[in-house]
Amino acid sequence: MSRNESQWTQRPTLPMSHYADPAIYYDENIFAEEQEKIFSKVWQLAIHESEIPQPYDYRTYQHPAGREVVIVRGEDKRIRTFYNICPHRGNLLVYEPSGNAKKLVCIFHQWAFNGKGECVDIPRDKNGYQDRVCKNDVGLKEVRTEVGYGGFVWINVDDNCDSLSSHIGGALDYMLPELEAEPLQTLWYYQARLKTNFKLIHDTNSEFYHDYLHYHNRVTGMLDPKSGYFQRKYTAFPNGHASVGSMEVKYDAYKGGGHSELGWPELPPQGWKLVDLFPCITFNLRTSVLRIDSYIPLGPKDVLLEFRALGLKSDTAETRAQREKDAATIWSPFGRNLHEDLLASSGQGVAMTAHSDPMYVLQAREEDLTIHDEIGMRHYLQEWSKRMGRSSADPYAKSAQAKMA
Amino acid sequence: MNANREDIEELIYDSCMALDQSDYDAYMDLCSPDFSYKLSAYSPEVKQEMTWLDHNRDEIEHLFHTLPKHNSDRNPLTRNAVVYRVKVDENHKRADVVSSFQIFKTALNGGHSELFAVGKYFDTVSLEGGKPALVNRHVKLDTRDLGWGYHVPF
Repeated sequence: MSRNESQWTQRPTLPMSHYADPAIYYDENIFAEEQEKIFSKVWQLAIHESEIPQPYDYRTYQHPAGREVVIVRGEDKRIRTFYNICPHRGNLLVYEPSGNAKKLVCIFHQWAFNGKGECVDIPRDKNGYQDRVCKNDVGLKEVRTEVGYGGFVWINVDDNCDSLSSHIGGALDYMLPELEAEPLQTLWYYQARLKTNFKLIHDTNSEFYHDYLHYHNRVTGMLDPKSGYFQRKYTAFPNGHASVGSMEVKYDAYKGGGHSELGWPELPPQGWKLVDLFPCITFNLRTSVLRIDSYIPLGPKDVLLEFRALGLKSDTAETRAQREKDAATIWSPFGRNLHEDLLASSGQGVAMTAHSDPMYVLQAREEDLTIHDEIGMRHYLQEWSKRMGRSSADPYAKSAQAKMA
Repeated sequence: MNANREDIEELIYDSCMALDQSDYDAYMDLCSPDFSYKLSAYSPEVKQEMTWLDHNRDEIEHLFHTLPKHNSDRNPLTRNAVVYRVKVDENHKRADVVSSFQIFKTALNGGHSELFAVGKYFDTVSLEGGKPALVNRHVKLDTRDLGWGYHVPF
């Protein structure tokens, strides 16, 4: 039976933890609050250390709290992060996404900074500033940085934040043997900008009921009773993180992929482990390739997606090529699954707007925490609600007002 | 066959038209039995050459055959290629061909066209049979942000 407007906009007769108000996916004010209450407070995965292997290497990064930063490996090999802004007149210090420079020199007036963020040169400083402005007073703004969990570089723009390990807790313990078996190497970096909400894309990693979207996942897992697909279980961790248990992916069932028997140290053959980290990071290790998703929200309906594929630093050229080929089948911009995930998330972005009269969004499946249970989304939005100070099912506190009236 | 630049150019343009028309049998007819296809892009961010498709003839035929089973962006593409260079090796009956391309996407809803990708084809063409055939195609993309991506090779 179709519904009239009153029925369409009615709250579901479910616990509030089992549905979300669609406004959390498009409201400008809610997004501004997310930047302040979430992205300015949490650890964000910025790059992998293999992207800056040598002293003086640097990488730029657009932090979702709005800061432009530059990540530098110093002469002492330590990795530090600074705001990518010259303290003199506010120009970008570094323009290119990567490079190597003994000093970061602003093109505007040639102020120069070393890998510790110290100002080491101000042209004609005494002539102009006498002793009123000194190099010691104009260092770069440093950002909290830690390297860990497989050599990833994590940053937090809150000087007073807790440690990275306290944020991650035990969520990555399940994958640590694989992450730390050998040094890793970034193979790919795919960046795409989409007109949708970052949480909608993270959802595609937080629930597997959407495997109905993927022909590849159906034939290599869901439809094979021996794969262990329906035995995969979610485990929820503090701070909004969750992991998904492994299975045996049956790549032979999909013709045309050319997937190899290549594996990954410590991972069972044809295994697949996945960990979602709040608010928008996913570690996805599938047979021979580690995929890392980290999203940079730019607006409520505007997100920069970063996808990395990683192999092992010790890989030969042939092994690397095979890992890339394995990853390409499903995860490249031409891959079978990534395209489908991004199509669906973008469709949600089109369909749910402030003026499209969208309904409440359901995450109500309960299947004993197994693969089609939507506990991953519920657990995520529980953390979101805690940090935002109100329920994701009622972000404007309408139900409380209704009760008071 | 005698090397004829016009025939080689026609092969490149026919390959674009076949894919534009989703005529995958016609595309495979332009390829030799040992055809291979690779698509890559260089990332200045991580300073790596990235391979995003790498298939032999069997694999790419399977890819075409499974397309209807997938959920895909159905907005059609138009490949606009220009052959820049044809270098014929008469001894080996081969030619190396470099072509530049732009690919436009036209929306099914409303018909708006926009530039989707630019890059180059690096092709090896066999001149042994009665007509030239693609032995190897390496697509090198300049464009790296392809949005939600696309299931059909360029």
